[in-house]
Amino acid sequence: MQLTEEERRILDGVFGEPQRIALGVLAKLGDAYGADRMIEISSAHIVASSYQIAGEAGIEIYSRLAEQGAKVKVRTTCDPGSIDFARWQLFKTPADYAERQIKIAELLGRLGVIPTWTCTPYTTFNVPRYGEDLGWSESSAVIFANSVIGARTNRLAAYVDICAALVGRVPRFGLHLPECRRGEVLFELAADIGDDFADHFFPVLGYLIGQRAGDRIPVIAGIRHATFDQLKAFGAAAAASGSVALYHMVGITPEARTLDEAFGGRPPAERVLVGRRDIADTLEQMNTGEAGEVDIVGLGCPHASIDQMRRYAALLRGKRVRAGTELWICANTVVEDMARKMGYVEVIEQAGAKLMVGTCHNDCPLGAWNFRRLATDSGKFAYYTPTTVGTDCVFASTEACIEAAITGRIEAS
Amino acid sequence: MSSWRASLRGNGCAPGQFEGEAVVSNQSFGFWQGIDPTTGAVIDKRHDLCGTSLKGKAFFFPYGRGSTGTPGIFLEAVRNGCAPAAIVNVRSEPMIVMCALLAEAFFKVQIPIVDGLPSNPLEIVRTGDRVRINGTTGAIDVLCR
Repeated sequence: MQLTEEERRILDGVFGEPQRIALGVLAKLGDAYGADRMIEISSAHIVASSYQIAGEAGIEIYSRLAEQGAKVKVRTTCDPGSIDFARWQLFKTPADYAERQIKIAELLGRLGVIPTWTCTPYTTFNVPRYGEDLGWSESSAVIFANSVIGARTNRLAAYVDICAALVGRVPRFGLHLPECRRGEVLFELAADIGDDFADHFFPVLGYLIGQRAGDRIPVIAGIRHATFDQLKAFGAAAAASGSVALYHMVGITPEARTLDEAFGGRPPAERVLVGRRDIADTLEQMNTGEAGEVDIVGLGCPHASIDQMRRYAALLRGKRVRAGTELWICANTVVEDMARKMGYVEVIEQAGAKLMVGTCHNDCPLGAWNFRRLATDSGKFAYYTPTTVGTDCVFASTEACIEAAITGRIEAS
Repeated sequence: MSSWRASLRGNGCAPGQFEGEAVVSNQSFGFWQGIDPTTGAVIDKRHDLCGTSLKGKAFFFPYGRGSTGTPGIFLEAVRNGCAPAAIVNVRSEPMIVMCALLAEAFFKVQIPIVDGLPSNPLEIVRTGDRVRINGTTGAIDVLCR
C-alpha cells in the first residue's frame, strides 16, 4: 500500500501509540485486500459497544486506548449497549452485568464517541451523504448507508471500526471503489407477488436474498414502492442471513435508477425469479416455532423510527397487552424523545408494552425471564433469536405481532 | 502410527507459525454465537463440532460466517487463552482475517491463517492429526495421526 508522509509518521509513532496501532491494523487489512492507499472517512460507527460483544477484552482495549489519551478523529457513533441505561432493572438485567456496560460507556465517552447506542445511527447524528466514504460496522447500518443513501463503506469488524475512527481513514478497497459496487445477481419478482407486495414481505425477501446472494451484490427488480422502514427491514435481514453489504433496488435506490445502471452495463452473472412460493418457503424457514402461545414479542429491530412508533401507538391505543406476555419495542434515545413529545410513548406504556431504549432483545442478558417463544416482525431478529435469546421464534407482520401481544397467541402467517 | 501424510501450499492470510493438533469440519462456522470464549468450546447447536474445544488447536473449516461482532467474541477467547491457535479455510472470510490482525495488535498473539484448501478439508486432514502451518508462506503439512 502506498502511504502518505503523514501516514508513515503515524506508523512511526509520532502521533502516539493509539494512532500507531490503529493505522497498523488498517494498513495490514489494506495489504490483505489489495488496497492501493488510505482514504479519509467522514464518520465512523462502532459495533463493539455492548458488553455482550466487547466483553472484558473490549474493556481492556478501550481502557488502554483511553489511558493513552486516544480520541476519535471523525464523528463516531456507537451501536446498542447491553442494557437500557435508564431502566435496566425493569428488564431484569443483573447489576454486575449493568456495571460492566456502564464502564464501557464511560470509556467510549473518554474516547469521544457519541453515545447514540443504536443500530440506526442515520436516524440520529450520523447521517451520511451520497458518495461519502465511511468507516462503519454494524451490518444493518452498513447496508443501509451503502444501498439507501449511496455512501461507501465496507463492513468493518468490531475494533477495526475504532481504529478507523482514531485515524479518520480506511484502506481503499471493496465498496469504496465504484467498479466494486456493481450488481452481480438479479432477483426478479414474479408477477404473482410484485403486484401485491405486503409490508412484511420486505424482511422475508431480504432473508431469502441474503441466503442466495451470500457476499455478492444483489439487484432487486420488480418492487414498485418502498418506504424508509421497509428498506431498513429488508437490508437488515439480508445482512444477517447473508453477508450482503450493498444491494440495488431498481427505481428505488440511488445507484439503480435503471437495471443497466445497477449492473454497471454488464449482464447479471445469475438471474433468480422470486415468486409467491419462494416467499412462503422462506417464511417457513424463518419460523422455528409453531403458531400458539407467545410470551415475548419483539419490535424495533433495527431500532424503530418515529414513523414506526406512530404505527405501534395507533395499533395499541386503547388495547392491553395480555398478562404473562411481554411486548418490548426497541428504539434509540433520539426517537424515544420525539415519541414522548408526540404522546406515542404514553399510549404504548398505557397498553402495558415496554419501550426498550439503547439496546434490544438480542444484546441483553434475558436469562431471568425464561422466555419460551418469541414473535417478531424482524428478519434479522428471526435469524439471531434461536441463538441469542435461545427461544423458538415466530416471524409475522407488525400487526400480527401486536395482536399476539394482546391475545398471548400468534397465528400462523 | 506416525507417518508423514500430506503437504500442500495455500495462501498465507495472517502471519504466524503453528505446530500441533487439528480440529476439522466440513461445515461453515461463525465465531459469533459459535464459541464459548471462556472455554474455547463450540456452542453452536447446529454445528457438527458442538462441544469440541478449539482451544490451542488448528481449526480447519471451509468458510467463515462473519457477523461484524465476530472479533468481539474472538478477542475475548484470545484474552482468555482459549482461541484456536491457527485457522485454515477454503476461502478466508474478512471478519476472521481481521480477528487475527486485531489479536496481534491488541494482545500480541499471532494466529496464522491460511486459505486455498480444496473444497472439503476432511479430504486432507482429520481431527486429531498433527499439523504444521505457516501463515506467511501458506504451507500446510499434515504430519501424522
